[in-house]
Amino acid sequence: MLQIARLSHAYGDIVSLRGVSLELPEGEILCLLGPSGCGKTTLLRIIAGLEAEYSGTVAFNGADMRSIPAHRRGFGLMFQDFALFPHLSVAGNVAYGLRRQRLKRDEIDGRVQALLRRVGLEVLEARDVAALSGGQKQRVALARSLAPNPRLLMLDEPLGSLDAQLRDQLALELRGIIKRAGVSAIYVTHDHREAYAVADRIAVMNLGSVCQRDAPRQLYRAPASVFVARFLGLSNIFASDDSRLADVLGINVATLATRAGAILIHPAGISVAAGSSDLGIALEAALVDAVFRGAHYDVTVAAARDARLSFAMEDLPMKLGDRLRINIRRDAIIPLDE
Amino acid sequence: MRARLRDFWLLIYLIPLAFLGVLFVYPLLSILDLSLRPAGALDLSGFVRLLSTDYYVGTLLFTVYQATLSTAATLLLATPCAFVFARYRFRGKSLLMSLATLPFVLPTIVVALAFATLLGKKGLLNDLAQTLFSLDYAPVQLERTLAMIIIAHVFYNFAVALRIISGYWATAGFSVEEAARCLGADEGALWRDIRLPLIRPALLSAGLLVFIFSFTSFGVILILGGIRFATLEVQIYYQAVNMFNLPLAAALSLVQILGMLAMMMIYTATQKKMQLQLASGAATSRRALTGTERLAVGFCVALIAGLLIAPLIALVLRSLLAAGQLDVANYLSLTEKSRGSLLFIAPLESIFNSLRFALLAMIAALILGLIASYMIERPGRLARLADPLFMLPLATSAVTLGFGFIIALDEPPLNLRASWLIIPISHTLVALPFVIRSVLPSLRAIPPSLREAARTLGAGSLDTLLTIDLPLLGRSLVVGATFAFTVSMGEFGASLFVAQRESVTIPVVIYRLIGDPGQASYRQALAMSVVLMLVCACGFIIIERLRIAGVGEF
Repeated sequence: MLQIARLSHAYGDIVSLRGVSLELPEGEILCLLGPSGCGKTTLLRIIAGLEAEYSGTVAFNGADMRSIPAHRRGFGLMFQDFALFPHLSVAGNVAYGLRRQRLKRDEIDGRVQALLRRVGLEVLEARDVAALSGGQKQRVALARSLAPNPRLLMLDEPLGSLDAQLRDQLALELRGIIKRAGVSAIYVTHDHREAYAVADRIAVMNLGSVCQRDAPRQLYRAPASVFVARFLGLSNIFASDDSRLADVLGINVATLATRAGAILIHPAGISVAAGSSDLGIALEAALVDAVFRGAHYDVTVAAARDARLSFAMEDLPMKLGDRLRINIRRDAIIPLDE
Repeated sequence: MRARLRDFWLLIYLIPLAFLGVLFVYPLLSILDLSLRPAGALDLSGFVRLLSTDYYVGTLLFTVYQATLSTAATLLLATPCAFVFARYRFRGKSLLMSLATLPFVLPTIVVALAFATLLGKKGLLNDLAQTLFSLDYAPVQLERTLAMIIIAHVFYNFAVALRIISGYWATAGFSVEEAARCLGADEGALWRDIRLPLIRPALLSAGLLVFIFSFTSFGVILILGGIRFATLEVQIYYQAVNMFNLPLAAALSLVQILGMLAMMMIYTATQKKMQLQLASGAATSRRALTGTERLAVGFCVALIAGLLIAPLIALVLRSLLAAGQLDVANYLSLTEKSRGSLLFIAPLESIFNSLRFALLAMIAALILGLIASYMIERPGRLARLADPLFMLPLATSAVTLGFGFIIALDEPPLNLRASWLIIPISHTLVALPFVIRSVLPSLRAIPPSLREAARTLGAGSLDTLLTIDLPLLGRSLVVGATFAFTVSMGEFGASLFVAQRESVTIPVVIYRLIGDPGQASYRQALAMSVVLMLVCACGFIIIERLRIAGVGEF
């Protein structure tokens, strides 16, 4: 169990972490999700022991890590650029951490074989790392950081340098391998889709603070702030003093939350009404935009006073300018902190 | 525990600093002291004399003049060749590029003698012309002229300029030019607006380096020019050794040191700019297609071959030919000490001296250079100071260094003057910048994440150094070591000051042999030069082999 309390850090005058507190239960995968520069990589480096200047505590199983140097922590770190050792072969890279533990040669060979099998690279054992593709490098880096049986595995944008298609496939594979290894993991990414696929729990970071920590589904359904909602790619955010909320959309802001700075009308709760329904708010709007995405359309409609709403539709049996009736579920109306 | 580790590293950093302090800064300060207080009290009359005597002002002006001419001639010849090398692929290109580096590891004394045998009054070229056209006079009249000195300097520095400029041009690639072409630039505009402005940092960097080398050139001028063409270097040597006017020599050295210091600071600044811009690195050369392009390639090949290879061939031929016949007697005579010679040992024995000193200097320079490189690479104020500090020996002329040694290290506790150790020590100082410049780029190229990865995998500081840093530096360490070795083998200026009777090195022996009267001694000098050239050529081959992987800043 990793416990981080009131962690702060600055590079010169630039504050990178402001009192971050987090917990990571045994065996769980925590995703740190946030835009570049939000402090997520710094957080990883402090936990790994690569940054010595910080305030607050990093504790693992109750023991303070401050005086323990990186190489004695038993924490694995997979680097964004993979940081493969160019002078060693694939097997040499994977064996590096095992050699530091002074294991016997056969034992090292056996574990290297098993790990390469686990990441699907057993045939490339003797290959030069420079000759590998991006995806292969990523697997070698993963195998290398898993080899010494770390108590905690950290991955810094492990799929960042790969192309989108490979990313989707590898994210799932990565989760499988981490779960089978049974290791606690912290996974840093700026891509919410990747975080949904990999994480047990997601901590969204902004400007050096954690702004929300939740399970992926809960995070998606109920983002806590404007920043989180925007970062997750959710549209339909209205300022809570926007008069169109009450006048056009029929939403009584006062009943929702007094201190809400904004209101999100979650796209997942908007649909084209088949008939009349009392379950939600029904209103009429004109179709102003539709983008074909393959499995669905991203559509935008305009209600009275140009109050615009976006959501997804499986099919598009109408054309631009047509008027349609839409239904907003009551639980899709979410108050957001500013 | 971490604090103790840091103290340990700081202690290690003290080693090269102490070495430099005692064996470099202290001798230089002694020169300063001697020049400002020749008799123990402040006395600037030496400077007044220096600056008011037309002869010495002339020396200073001539030093700048010949260095400027040498730099201009080198850049003028090297820039077109650099363009050809950067842009076109042709057969034998890599061999030619390698050959162009050869002079860089060749000792000055060998180069000077090679040019004397090619262009001298009784040189190969005159012989050839006289035989071919049945002339009864020598048509090439270059002996003891400024032109001869400039030609030798171009030979010496051509490779440096070629490498720096073509390397820089190559990274720019075709795409920038193609973009300019699409925007309406013709060939003239391309040169004026794109190509030349693009390589300005490289021209500046190469020009400064060539200027520095020409400014401190000693062996070439001493042998090809004589006292009539005395530069600061030659004058320091002449005043200190022949006239025994130490205060004046010290004053001249001070002028020399200050000038070099300024140039070196500018040079390190340009180096940083170069590193920032050399980013892309995509392959950019293509085959020469049009007639003009082929002509350019042909010109380039002929120039390099003519300039670089002809003198060396002349040297070898002259050392082997006696009275028009092949004769190895020159070589056989190297085992004997000729009568009436100023030498205390047989010429061949100096080879063992040189090898021994070079080996010692290499080991010392490698260890010190490695530590110094780490010091420079560390972020912080110490590093910013350390970089120019460790380059200083390169900027200080070998003659000044040797002069400083004999006036500073001649009394206890540092009475090294009579010891042979003073030779490898002076060579270590001269070789140190070469090791650092070879190792530093490789050290900087190691991404910090590699060391961090090693640490998260359980490697401590020492373990990381042994398993990550050293293997990755391997090639550049070999290059640095070889540089150190060849530099030591060919070192002339400092050795001339500090080498004593039995501990003379090959270049010193060659110089003494030239000074000896008689043809026999001169032939021995030629034969020794060829031996020295071969030793250095071996070093050169090692460097070139490894340079294919792009090691080093030189």
